[in-house]
Amino acid sequence: MAALPKRIVKETERLSKEPVPGISAVPHDDNLRYFDVTIDGPSQSPYEGGLFRLELFLPDDYPMTPPKVRFLTKIYHPNIDRLGRICLDVLKSNWSPALQIRTILLSIQALLGAPNPDDPLANDVAQAWKEDQSKAIETAKQWTAQHAARPTA
Amino acid sequence: MKFGQVFKEALRNEGFPPEWISSAISYSQLKKCINRLTAELAQVGLDPVTLEKLLRHVEDYNKSAEASTADEEFRPFEYILSDGERGEGGKKKVFRPKLLFYVEEATGALHSAKLDKETREKLQMLAVETGMSDLRVYEEEESDGKGGAADGKESNGHANGNGARSHSPSLCAIEVPLTSDTEFFTKLTTQLSSLEALQLKEEKRMHTEIEDLGRQIARFTDPDRKANKKLLAVWRQIFQLYLEEAVFFGTTERDHSAHGAEKATTRFNEFCVKIKETGLVGKIKKREQMEALETFMHINKEILQGLRFGEINHTAMSKILKKFDKRTALSIKPHLPPTLTYPQFSQHLAKAVCAEVNTQILSHVPQIDDYSCPMCMDIKWRPVKLGCGHTFCIRCLIVMQTRKQNRCPLCREKCVEKANSDNLDLELADFLKKWFPEEVRQKQKYNELMAGVDAYGEVYKEKCAVM
Ligand SMILES: [Zn+2]
Ligand SMILES: [Zn+2]
Repeated sequence: MAALPKRIVKETERLSKEPVPGISAVPHDDNLRYFDVTIDGPSQSPYEGGLFRLELFLPDDYPMTPPKVRFLTKIYHPNIDRLGRICLDVLKSNWSPALQIRTILLSIQALLGAPNPDDPLANDVAQAWKEDQSKAIETAKQWTAQHAARPTA
Repeated sequence: MKFGQVFKEALRNEGFPPEWISSAISYSQLKKCINRLTAELAQVGLDPVTLEKLLRHVEDYNKSAEASTADEEFRPFEYILSDGERGEGGKKKVFRPKLLFYVEEATGALHSAKLDKETREKLQMLAVETGMSDLRVYEEEESDGKGGAADGKESNGHANGNGARSHSPSLCAIEVPLTSDTEFFTKLTTQLSSLEALQLKEEKRMHTEIEDLGRQIARFTDPDRKANKKLLAVWRQIFQLYLEEAVFFGTTERDHSAHGAEKATTRFNEFCVKIKETGLVGKIKKREQMEALETFMHINKEILQGLRFGEINHTAMSKILKKFDKRTALSIKPHLPPTLTYPQFSQHLAKAVCAEVNTQILSHVPQIDDYSCPMCMDIKWRPVKLGCGHTFCIRCLIVMQTRKQNRCPLCREKCVEKANSDNLDLELADFLKKWFPEEVRQKQKYNELMAGVDAYGEVYKEKCAVM
């Protein structure tokens, strides 16, 4: 396998040296382009208290193309579908090679704090969200408690 | 151990210069003032428990007296803090607080259910002794200087509370003759201003020291001098480690704050260990340069010492004011005038000196992070400036052009395709070659390798690696 580009080395270093609050991203030993990610549910959101696991992969042509990110933890959110795929502009058309892993993860954390049912990926969830927001938030809270509970140490 | 003792030992044992020690808050002298004041108050029957019950309020210098709540029982005492800023002719008067109590003008009777017999007698004696026609008597109604000609301070200070007071206008105020409180505040004020003067002096001295060192470092690291070639990289790495350690101020998203002496000391020690362990110190062989490094360390130690000195003095001041309140019940601590607040000695000095270190010393040695390409995070070699003004390395822009990505990664302006050899930033290229010769060489090699891969495919890379 080709040597790891300097950029990925630097990003990884900084992620471990100055971690973003509420976010962790650790590369696999055997594949330094593949990261195990966790994001804390933002406070004052239906995901508060939850710990969400994601996977993040840097394709060969990163940073020309965006990282591939997916939720592993089940989550009830209008912009995240059943397979954990995320509808976020900076992961698609609005990607720029000057963005980084940390900025992308911050955007995802922000998306948890501000669900946007008008730009849905999970159509059924978005529909439910629009029809009865408080009920949808209740469901999101239940899912968080059920699927995103922190491992009790 | 008592604080007085701790403070004394800190001053004695932590290697502060004698001049600093003599400018420090003299905790034990101030404590003696408080003892004398307590004695003075006791003489008129005002032990802290008694006085606390009698004291209406301390006139707050910072805001006008609060209207006392209606159900509150009349308390015949007040303590007026005025720093004399309103003195005539713009002259600053000495800070002189006054403890006043109110008696009925006609009879000299003191009204308060909370007074025990003995204290009441003592105070009434005092009122009689002082004589109600004496200058120390304060008219309750505004009386513009009447009877106040002698020292002109009578109507100052408590006039603003008049509207709120509902008690009989026939009361008049008597001052409890205290001298130790004035002595206390005079001492404290003097000490604070000498601390401030010391700070200014130290700042000036260190300014010169830092400037000199800056000139020296500039000479050692001048990339135009051949002899400097190797040491330039060493100095750069030393300063890079120094910046990364963020000794005095946090530089991360989480921590922007100024560090206290303890944290800063820990960080500085870590820096010292790192430059030794990485062998950087050992690489500096010339005596002159070794001495410069020592001066740099010394300046840092002086800042640390300044921080620590400021902190212990701040603690001393806050403890002595607490003691004042506890032993006298005069509750001055929350009400002090601005001239008596602690002059951010430590933080201010550290901030000023750190800024100097940055502009005078560190700036002589450019850091690679300031010249890295936002895309590959390697050195911007060769630098190409897009129409929008943003600069990237040529390799990244070639990749973008090949992929027909036209937007600038930083501002999204459509200007990538237009870029050509006219966009090379020659001035920056010269600068980079001069300051980062090794990094430029490596990046150049990498760029050439990748150009080969573009032309001949991945095979090219393998062939090269064999060679
Ligand atoms: Zn680049
Ligand atoms: Zn731009």
